[in-house]
Amino acid sequence: MIKQIGFFIEIVKGSIITARHFWVNLFFHILKLFHIKTKRKGAATIQYPDVRQPIAYRHRSMHRLMKHKDGTPRCVVCMLCVTVCPSECIYVEAAEDPDPEIQKYPSQFIIDLTRCCFCGFCVEACPEDAIRMDTDEIELARYDKEELVFDLDKLLG
Amino acid sequence: MVKIFIDEKPFEVEEGITVFTAAEQAGIEIPHLCYHPAFAPEGTCRMCLVEIEGVPKLELSCATVVRDGMKVSTNNERVVEARKGVLEFLLADHPMDCPICDQAGDCKLQDYYEKYGMFESRYSENKEKREKKRKIGQTLIHDQERCVLCRRCVRFTREITKTHELGVFERGVHAEISILEDGPVNNKYSGNLAEICPVGAITDLDFRFQTRSWFLKSGDSICPLCSRGCSITIDSHKGFSHFKVPKRVYRIQSRRNENINGFWICDIGRYGYGYINENRLEQILLKNEQNEAMDWEKALKILSEKMKKVHPMDRSSGAVLILNPWLTNEELFLIKKFLIENQEFENVYLIDIPDGEGDDFLITTERSPNKRGLQELGLKAKSLSSDKLPEKIKLVLAFTPPNIDSAGSASVKAVFDKAETKILFASNKNDLSDVSDMVFPTAVIAEKSGSLINIDGVLQNFSPALEALGDSRPEWQILVEMAKEIDINHKYYDQFSSPETILQEIRKEISDFGKKSD
Repeated sequence: MIKQIGFFIEIVKGSIITARHFWVNLFFHILKLFHIKTKRKGAATIQYPDVRQPIAYRHRSMHRLMKHKDGTPRCVVCMLCVTVCPSECIYVEAAEDPDPEIQKYPSQFIIDLTRCCFCGFCVEACPEDAIRMDTDEIELARYDKEELVFDLDKLLG
Repeated sequence: MVKIFIDEKPFEVEEGITVFTAAEQAGIEIPHLCYHPAFAPEGTCRMCLVEIEGVPKLELSCATVVRDGMKVSTNNERVVEARKGVLEFLLADHPMDCPICDQAGDCKLQDYYEKYGMFESRYSENKEKREKKRKIGQTLIHDQERCVLCRRCVRFTREITKTHELGVFERGVHAEISILEDGPVNNKYSGNLAEICPVGAITDLDFRFQTRSWFLKSGDSICPLCSRGCSITIDSHKGFSHFKVPKRVYRIQSRRNENINGFWICDIGRYGYGYINENRLEQILLKNEQNEAMDWEKALKILSEKMKKVHPMDRSSGAVLILNPWLTNEELFLIKKFLIENQEFENVYLIDIPDGEGDDFLITTERSPNKRGLQELGLKAKSLSSDKLPEKIKLVLAFTPPNIDSAGSASVKAVFDKAETKILFASNKNDLSDVSDMVFPTAVIAEKSGSLINIDGVLQNFSPALEALGDSRPEWQILVEMAKEIDINHKYYDQFSSPETILQEIRKEISDFGKKSD
């Protein structure tokens, strides 16, 4: 019985804190509308998506595959990204390049973004700088899961 | 016997062997690239240098014969320094394209660099440009840049196949391995060249760029494609958690076995793994109920009902059993005990596997892995293609091999056409799987354990190299469960928990089973 009263007290305490934050914030936001106390931040964060924060230089965003000058992918299919990927979300298949100087090229390169944890290990492992995560694309929500499986054409952009 | 000291430890070794072999026997590893136990030593790579007391220069351990009282150092400062120097020379003109080299992960040069090298490159000149893709054989591509000129491949064609297709041309920095004018490497053992190449110079078109070696899991097995029964390792890929890989088995390599195949396997066995990957049966099929999921328990119940329906009086004339020489000794024994002796199947036929072209090295004309086991078990089977079939057939139990050809399946189909109830045990889809009343998926040799007797009478045990596919099960397990389901002598079949226990039982009955090697 005493235990249950204890819980009840905590719930009331929590509600008071929430209510206090709400009213205080509301008060300062209303003041802001009248251009009073504009420097005080209040509890509201950035007014996303109207206001956006600049993305940090080293932020890891959506992947892209790099291209040579002639437009062919820089990837040499060493599969080190596949090896290092902790969520096993990369799949690469190689094909023999007809050029006698070049060994292989990617015939398939799939990144399943529904599985990707954006650790950036693939970028670090790549010996050819063929994969980067610098597109600054962070809005990756889609209505369909299938759309989040990116293939070679999509990744080359 | 002579007494030698390796790294100050005394060892008693046989007379006449090399220092390298002595060290190997003592469990001391000496790095080597060109040395291969199957060939005469050549000493081209200079990696196996050791110091011998009283000899001013470092000696090649692969070509120096042991003497009594010899004191060998394999790991002192001078040897380590020399080894590092040799590695630096080898790597000076090596393309360092490990990330795209198929050998990476299996490469000896890579391993030795990590173990004995670890130096920064001092080579500031441009590396020699060479041909990267020279086709030297039906399935072989040679990369001149990666080649370290160990001449293992040359020695293979000279000493093992005696076909002399390869040679070293030009001199000095321009030296290269190439084919003679007669044409590319064209023998039945050419796949071994890619396997013995210590670096990634010779690559196999079958495996080239397919996957990376560290994704593969190796398992030991026996090649079932002819009656030689060569020891092999099967490299398989289990796939990634969200992506399926196109193949299950990626490559087959030879495994050292002095009694059977030495170090080699033929190309038939090396490239003939398609049956493990393709057209496999994964589920129990029951005619007219294709959509219903079937578990083994239920399926075996239906099967035993079907078997019980055939009256014992009809069994001798109206029931037919079709066997194949891919079944292991254990399975054949269970068939003999349970189906032939207990269930009174008198019409036992054997599917004929047509002979192929043999040679005097490894390939035998007989293309079935366990015909000898069938004979030693005393199973008398008629030939399906030439012997007469019974007039009226009520029930057929057919065990078909994975590589059944059209003639073979046609001969089984002739029986099926006459029969009322047709039960098929098969690992791969064939012409019969559509016309059978019930199809039970079975495991292939690579997925099961048991024993086979090869053409020379050597009994070889093997264990699974990969997991059974889908719902498939090895035949011995199906037979034991069938026997229990039909409820004959439950106690007798309860003891068969593994192929080993069955082999023990065989040995109880036939004491010299599998010991009659020629």
